[in-house]
Amino acid sequence: MKNKIIIGELVFLILIITAIYVFYPKVDYDINGEVIRFNSINSDVVIFSESPDFSNPRYINFENEETYVRLDPGKYYWKAANNFVKGFKNEIEIDSEVGLEIDKDSEDAEIKNIGNVKINITKTDDGITIGHIILDPSESEKIEDKGEYIGRQVE
Amino acid sequence: MISRYKNKHSNKYLKFALVLIIGLILPAISSLGISPGRTSIDYDPGMEKDIEITIINNEHKNIEVRLYSTLHDEFGTLTLFEDSLEFFPSEDRKTIKYKIEFPGNQTDLEPGLHIGEIVAVQIPKFAEKDTFIGATVAVVSQLYVYVPCPGKCIEAGLEVLDAETNSTATFIVPVINRGKVGIGDARAIIDIFNLDFEKKATIQTDSLSIEPGARAELSAKWDVNLNAGNYLAKITVIYDGESTSFEKEFSVGDKLLSIESIFVNNFQLGEIAKLQILVENRWNQDLDDVFANLIVFNDRDQVMTDIKSSNEDIPALSKKTLIAYWDTVGVEEGEYDGKLLVKYGKKSSDKNLILKISENSLDIFGVGYAIQPKGGRGFDVTTILLVVIILLIVINISWFIFFRRLKGKK
Repeated sequence: MKNKIIIGELVFLILIITAIYVFYPKVDYDINGEVIRFNSINSDVVIFSESPDFSNPRYINFENEETYVRLDPGKYYWKAANNFVKGFKNEIEIDSEVGLEIDKDSEDAEIKNIGNVKINITKTDDGITIGHIILDPSESEKIEDKGEYIGRQVE
Repeated sequence: MISRYKNKHSNKYLKFALVLIIGLILPAISSLGISPGRTSIDYDPGMEKDIEITIINNEHKNIEVRLYSTLHDEFGTLTLFEDSLEFFPSEDRKTIKYKIEFPGNQTDLEPGLHIGEIVAVQIPKFAEKDTFIGATVAVVSQLYVYVPCPGKCIEAGLEVLDAETNSTATFIVPVINRGKVGIGDARAIIDIFNLDFEKKATIQTDSLSIEPGARAELSAKWDVNLNAGNYLAKITVIYDGESTSFEKEFSVGDKLLSIESIFVNNFQLGEIAKLQILVENRWNQDLDDVFANLIVFNDRDQVMTDIKSSNEDIPALSKKTLIAYWDTVGVEEGEYDGKLLVKYGKKSSDKNLILKISENSLDIFGVGYAIQPKGGRGFDVTTILLVVIILLIVINISWFIFFRRLKGKK
């Protein structure tokens, strides 16, 4: 009798584990800068949140086998899901990049934010701060072609 | 002999003139990047930590970068292991380390934020430093050190999602507990004003508890019944009887024009592709001179293609297709990042794209969030495992009791 129960429990456990293995939402992913490519094996959606408890989640549906998402720099929690199972929680971190470009032609110069975050650019001349420019990513502004322009992340 | 001498010198002058002409015609670009732009850590007396940063040679040039560190106040010791770097054109990025050490016995450190900085400065290469008068670039990787306050204190922000007229916006107030004590109840009241400071609405978020050092998101929904424009949100976060307030400007109905889809028919690599960009004017007025601008970046994040559609007038609340042509001669098969901008007046809408190019297909994927999931209504795997464990425990206890009773009867 005892053996039968143990065997029954083992069979039950194996069935459950096999079911979870078969229905568990699987995805491959790779990160390239701010873009994450998800390749679905049997998932319908990827759930993202900035909080580990998945409050205010955002969803990325798999319209095709592959889907892409571009995220702002920061730390994110995500899990894949299908109609049967929601997967385990994973973490992803997108690094911020502060980038500055000065494009000089014969007449004037232009400064551009080539990073992925909003930046505060301080202009210094002989070590003295003489002005600020706030630029969103890809924004640019005409500047004087002299002095040192220092870019810092704002938010 | 004389003619050889002349030739030698005329070649020299020619080279000099060429360099001068190229220097005058071609724009000079200096650029520099650093990642991460910010590293945040919690203060721990006596802690030592190595932190990695990457310096990026965006233009793939031969450049020299000088590095130095600064502390806004004396909260620890910041040691840079290198003070200069040289990049060759083949080098895209270099990773370096710096060390932050906090004294073990410092107890009088002011609670709150303390800032350190690693500054990378591009040294002008083709001129003597003392005589160089042009603009130079420098980028900063910040180190944010948070010293917990003894009682309860918080850091909060505001994010506004889907703020469109006649739709439901979501207000998210992320709150980080920067104190040493847990917060039992945190909630936020958001007052919305127009730019003439007339109050238009008041909304209240849900309430949550927050562990020390943890982050929680307070959220509230708001049915937007205001016209498109800029508004001011005054946020008061109330936590266990204490409160903190801040303001943030946000926009309603920022996207007057939305990019609906992009079609490409009969694509053949090496030929001219016709891109059909469907846009919708959601504004209640006609939009004149609307055009699309597609920018495609190569694997080094440099602009590979920059094409524009013809200008079109789009009547109010209607859709129109903008046509742009892309000459794909010289484009290789592969996957590229792109950005599609639709410009109207001084405003623009944009959509980030991934372009997958093969010999006879161009697949364009928009990248962004979906609002509602199309699937994923399954059970959480942790819940399933928990149920299985509980079930097994119940079964085992049951048959254990059953056998004990059976034994007792015997």
